[in-house]
Amino acid sequence: MRREDGAHQGERRFALMLTAPGMLALLLTTTFPLAYLVWSSFQTINLAMPFMDGFAGVQNYVEMWHDSRYWHAMGLTGIYTFSSVALQVVIGMGLALLVMQIPAGQWIFRIVAILPIVLAPVVVGLFWRTLMLAPNFGMVDFLVQWLGFEQINWLGAPTPALISVIAIHTWQWTPFAFLVFLASLASLPGDVYEAARIDRANALQRFWHITLPLLRPAIIIVIIMRVMISLSAFAAIFAATGGGPGTASEILNLYAFKTSFVELNFGYGSALAVSLLIITMAVSGVLFYLRTPRRREAGA
Amino acid sequence: MSSYRRAATRRNIVLMIVASTLLLIWVFPLLWAVIVSLKSESEVLAYPPSVFFEPTGKNYADALFGDFSILSSLWTSTIVATATTVLTIVLAVPAAYAFARLRLPAKKTMGFYTLATQMVPPVGLVIPYFLILNKVGMLDSYEGMIIVYLTFSLPFAIWLMVSYMEDIPFEMEEAAFLDKASRLQTLWHIIIPQVRGGIAVTVIFVFLNAWNEFLFAVQLGGNNVRPVTVAMYNFVSVEQTLWAKLSAAALIAMLPVVVIGIIAQKQIVKGLTVGAVKGGGRR
Amino acid sequence: MAQGRVHLKGIYKRFGNFIALKHIDLDIQPVEFFALLGPSGSGKTTTLRMIAGLDTPDEGVIEVDGEDVTFAPPADRDIAMVFQNYALYPHMTVRDNIAFPLKMDKMPKAEIEPAVVRAAERVDIAHLLHRRPGQLSGGQQQRCALARAIVRQPKLFLLDEPLSNLDAQLRLQTRVELKKLQRALNVTAIYVTHDQEEAMTLADRMAVFLEGDILQVGTPDEVFNRPASIAVAAFIGSPPMNLLPATLDGDRLTVSGHSMTLPRAPQHPGGEVTMGVRPSHVRIDPQGLPTRLYLSENLGESALLNLYLGDELVKMRVASFNAGAEGETVPIAFDIDTIHLFESGSGRRIPLAGE
Repeated sequence: MRREDGAHQGERRFALMLTAPGMLALLLTTTFPLAYLVWSSFQTINLAMPFMDGFAGVQNYVEMWHDSRYWHAMGLTGIYTFSSVALQVVIGMGLALLVMQIPAGQWIFRIVAILPIVLAPVVVGLFWRTLMLAPNFGMVDFLVQWLGFEQINWLGAPTPALISVIAIHTWQWTPFAFLVFLASLASLPGDVYEAARIDRANALQRFWHITLPLLRPAIIIVIIMRVMISLSAFAAIFAATGGGPGTASEILNLYAFKTSFVELNFGYGSALAVSLLIITMAVSGVLFYLRTPRRREAGA
Repeated sequence: MSSYRRAATRRNIVLMIVASTLLLIWVFPLLWAVIVSLKSESEVLAYPPSVFFEPTGKNYADALFGDFSILSSLWTSTIVATATTVLTIVLAVPAAYAFARLRLPAKKTMGFYTLATQMVPPVGLVIPYFLILNKVGMLDSYEGMIIVYLTFSLPFAIWLMVSYMEDIPFEMEEAAFLDKASRLQTLWHIIIPQVRGGIAVTVIFVFLNAWNEFLFAVQLGGNNVRPVTVAMYNFVSVEQTLWAKLSAAALIAMLPVVVIGIIAQKQIVKGLTVGAVKGGGRR
Repeated sequence: MAQGRVHLKGIYKRFGNFIALKHIDLDIQPVEFFALLGPSGSGKTTTLRMIAGLDTPDEGVIEVDGEDVTFAPPADRDIAMVFQNYALYPHMTVRDNIAFPLKMDKMPKAEIEPAVVRAAERVDIAHLLHRRPGQLSGGQQQRCALARAIVRQPKLFLLDEPLSNLDAQLRLQTRVELKKLQRALNVTAIYVTHDQEEAMTLADRMAVFLEGDILQVGTPDEVFNRPASIAVAAFIGSPPMNLLPATLDGDRLTVSGHSMTLPRAPQHPGGEVTMGVRPSHVRIDPQGLPTRLYLSENLGESALLNLYLGDELVKMRVASFNAGAEGETVPIAFDIDTIHLFESGSGRRIPLAGE
């Protein structure tokens, strides 16, 4: 008993030795700055007016509560996250189902799908802003007019700008959902589908009763990962619209960023970032709670 | 009677057409960027866009060696991404082994902590980092940038490596112990060679993410440390309409990640789907 | 009116360069328990899958009750199937698994539940209805798959090696129950197996497959006692019969220099032939052929002697294990009225007079 304890003691010490550098690095690089962020959210830090700096108490948060631009950004974050994730999952799933049916050439789709994923979001934002959406130059603009529709100022008018940034995000990340679903579909047992065909389930019924339930874990994982990425989206919007026109596409990330680095109001920017942090943590908490499988029949 | 067969063929053709159209949506922006990058600046502004034109390599030459050279930015990105990757692997692999395989005090707490750090929105970090690095005079420094990049690379790398470590059969370690290898020797000689594939995937992901990073780079970098992503952004802000040159420069800047993406396509998909395909029982 | 006649005409199928079926014909009668027997890769499973509609032939026609169903999808064929790995829906309870075919059939909800319970009771899993496949033992999963197949009243009942994943004891028990079940359901059953004992005990008739061809169709008794070719003879029986070169001259058969007179005249001009004799039809005879005992295998109730007759290995079944020491000389003789003869070249059976 005692000797065994000793052996485990050695293992524990070794394990601690292996994890310590990584954990210490995480503590220093993430937790310490976050603590600093929380601290600075209770300060007035304005690089434009350094003479005002000092302890502010909850004043930044009070201000935030009454800040209509904050609530606007919050609403846009919700719309942006929800719609882009929903689109990614639906389109990605549809595309994966489609490509699974194709007898040959699946590899082309896999290669093409990897391209948007590996591109820098800032470059994606720039490409869309210039080559695709720019008035009288971009291909989308050209296509819209060629089809006989009225010209739309994609990035210069409020609603089209919001639609555009959602579309850009969806364009870049749908391949992610597609690839995950494709891999999941490929790993499903074939004989189960044959059994379903013999049991007279048609294609739609097979999808509804077999595919969807079996893909549930993959769908949930994709939703979790995509929500997280959506909530921290920055570069593509920043490059495409900069949050504009006005605040039409200014999600919380951009508002916090601009408050800090454009208006140089770091205290208030910190408070905005803290609220974003809390929202992100709450959303991830809920998603992970949903994800944990719960037995429907206890004890079975 | 073979109407069943004809229907199947017709269905396949429809499928191919729909799939190809969708394919085009994802290829087109890149394809168009390639085309535009080969046009002269006056040709670029033709509207409706011209498809037939005399291709020129001038934009690429300018982007590399001309007034708008991005060579120094490419070099900066290479240093930052490589250093971040090396440091991340050195820290992540041992930690992942301990998480996956060893008795470790407070394992659950540390595991949850690592996961939680992965969720931190970068905007929440860039603000304090700016203030801190400003205070200690490390803005626009390689050291500062690499430290900041650990914030997103390290938690991710640890979790990715844990899932690879968990796949190694226990017999491997047990056999090594019977052969009187020490724990450190076992890790070095048995475990690490076993997870080479996993390390490669992790390296690819960390490198790609570091290369593509923009938010930290634009605010914490400067004239000294200016990665390509920032150079691209500045290009559009400063040179509003030199879009052929922008396309050429952006394609050069994205060439490394696109090449890695295509070569390591299988590994990347594997990395993306770790957990998802396995049924998501872990983490 | 009896339903469930399956008629395959000239079925040909290839997968790439591999020819899975070489123009086979097969006529399966209503309410028959028909086994497709053969080693793996012989084409038996491919045949079953085509009857199910999961595969389509490259050439040939499949008729069920006179109707051409060659390219009809499975749903249009009124069949039920038990898969080798059961193919249970992993996310559904046993109840939902069994109910699934009825649900797809648009049966009213009120009728589904009693039907499910009835089917489950038939295979003794009524107490497991709330479980999921992952929580069942192999035998229980197999029963669940059976229940799902019998819950509807299909025209055809297809079984693809349904017992191969069970352990030996359970396999014997389930085998008996399968046969009873088929009798009770009064439905055509087509059963794929590589296990000849299963085919022998279960089937009314069987087809022996080898390399994409059907070697013989017949009752177990016919296949066992009158194998149509050397290939069938070499496959059926455990161990299969001994095949020895012999010379035929009228009704005189000479093996290894030892002549015997056949009880019935063979319909063959004479010459080089192959003689077949089952291990249980070899006996020790002091006046017989001298052989050398190479190895004796103890099978419990009996023993199997491996003897060398010249260069030819002869297997002989004896009642007791203490039949002699290895290296010893054992004189043997063959039960002359159980001997099978085959043409050496074509391998075809040489019928004896009256056959």
